[in-house]
Amino acid sequence: MLLRCRIPLAHFELDIDVSFDARVTSIFGPSGSGKTTLLDAIAGLRAIAAGEIAVNGSILFSSARGINRPPQHRGIGYVPQEGALFPHLSVRKNILFGAERDTDAGTSHHLSMDHVLKVLEISRLLSRPVTQLSGGEAQRVALARAILSRPQLLLLDEPLAALDIGLKERILPYLARVRDEFGIPMIYVTHNLTEVLTLADWVLVLQQGKLVAQGVPKETLRSANTLLQLPDDRFDNVFAVTFMRSDRELGNTQVRSASGTELLIPYLPPPLDPKLQIRVSADDILIATERPAGISAANVFQGTIRGIEALNGEVMLTVLAGDEFLVRLTSAAVIRLRLDQDTRVFLIIKTRSFRVL
Amino acid sequence: MIFSVETWQITIFSLGVGLASTLLILPFGIVLAWLFARKEWPLKSVAETIVLLPLVMPPVSTGLILLKIFGRRSPFGQWLYNRGIEIVFNWKGVLIAMAVMSFPLLVRSVRTSFSEVNPRLEQIAATLGASALKVFFVITVPLAYKGIVAGALLAFARALGEFGATILLAGNIPGKTQTLSLAIFNFVQTGKDSEAYALLGITVILAFTFVWFSEWLLRTRKTV
Repeated sequence: MLLRCRIPLAHFELDIDVSFDARVTSIFGPSGSGKTTLLDAIAGLRAIAAGEIAVNGSILFSSARGINRPPQHRGIGYVPQEGALFPHLSVRKNILFGAERDTDAGTSHHLSMDHVLKVLEISRLLSRPVTQLSGGEAQRVALARAILSRPQLLLLDEPLAALDIGLKERILPYLARVRDEFGIPMIYVTHNLTEVLTLADWVLVLQQGKLVAQGVPKETLRSANTLLQLPDDRFDNVFAVTFMRSDRELGNTQVRSASGTELLIPYLPPPLDPKLQIRVSADDILIATERPAGISAANVFQGTIRGIEALNGEVMLTVLAGDEFLVRLTSAAVIRLRLDQDTRVFLIIKTRSFRVL
Repeated sequence: MIFSVETWQITIFSLGVGLASTLLILPFGIVLAWLFARKEWPLKSVAETIVLLPLVMPPVSTGLILLKIFGRRSPFGQWLYNRGIEIVFNWKGVLIAMAVMSFPLLVRSVRTSFSEVNPRLEQIAATLGASALKVFFVITVPLAYKGIVAGALLAFARALGEFGATILLAGNIPGKTQTLSLAIFNFVQTGKDSEAYALLGITVILAFTFVWFSEWLLRTRKTV
């Protein structure tokens, strides 16, 4: 899709010129960087000073050609941050609100309501008033409503931001399922790195209304400029792994990553689908220069430092140990251990530092 | 209290014309309130002020203006008369006076309830393919209906209490244009105190019911 627009805001101007083509494109940036404004502009809910917006080759807006399709004719499914369910309608009526929209050539997804309800696990909520939904349920209903309007593009505005951490981890897999099941391109706005790394194929990094970086998430977000300038954000390593076996008595689960590394993570009952995503924070990985002995942590691998990026007393190491691990240390630790490019180190990760997504 | 046939006739006439007046202004009031709450247009503040004028002007002055507009000597009154429509000194005059005097209360109440509807809901409805008309009837109006009903009740109550504008435009003709308020005035003037008190009782009960119900509606309104 093509996105070129200029929108004057109170404190800065949103000025974007980018084209991209991915299943899930994440717009990533701190609060107040113009992310929601951009989604509103794509959906046709906000005036654009100048520019052009095209999705799947059809032009939604073009100041040069005088085209400005109204929101109801853009074929875009929008899930705003607050969900915005219609409080006077039941869950069923909310979900079916956009279902009768005329579809253009580009929006002929074969979606059945049953399928969508099943993927999002909301069938049993249908007859409830929306005022009696929990935060996580409301978000899934809003998602179902947007999907069933058979859009050519889904816009998700921080769908997990209002949820507490436990709930976030339960909703994230639903978003991954939506991505895999329905084949609707998505633009996913967030200021959370884990969400980008878990869901997105492409990331646009936005700061003060300007595009500062774009690319494949893992590589784009690794650079110190992107990573360390984002305050109070944990950086997570996310791995796709395969379930091997688990032991309730010992409290652990053995999984294998794509590169063959075997990891021990907390106990979970054998899942139906052996493909899992797990994560570990860059702050929860220890570095040792010699093989440690007599410690509780069960995951110890040897690796090589492939990247060191420092900013403001923090250092982000990229360590290759089968997979790539990002490890965040203080500069003091790096100096004390004399860590440098190509230093051989041991990574130490507690079983319980891993989380399953 | 004596509830004579005359008392009943006056009450039913007042309620009937009051109801007709409320139903007449309802669609205009809703559309105008929506334009005030949701749209920006030139001279909007002037229009808002004009609509509110009858609320603060002496009702007799409003009545005089209406008489000048609808009277047979004005071009508009003449135009109506030529088409067989006469407003002044019959029930239609009562209707117009009630409508004009109660209109501001309706618009104010409905406007407030429209502005309390979260515009985000309307925007999202549009992205789901809803036309402006569907958004209005399926989202905005249902979410604002308590304010609309409360506004209509207030307007109805105000219509029943109308005196000053009615007496100028429609006169005080027993059996023809005499409303509750006009009749009370008439009975007091002619010393028929018991009839006046009977009507007084009716007006108090009606007013109390309407205001209580409309306040209850506004209290139970959910902000969304």
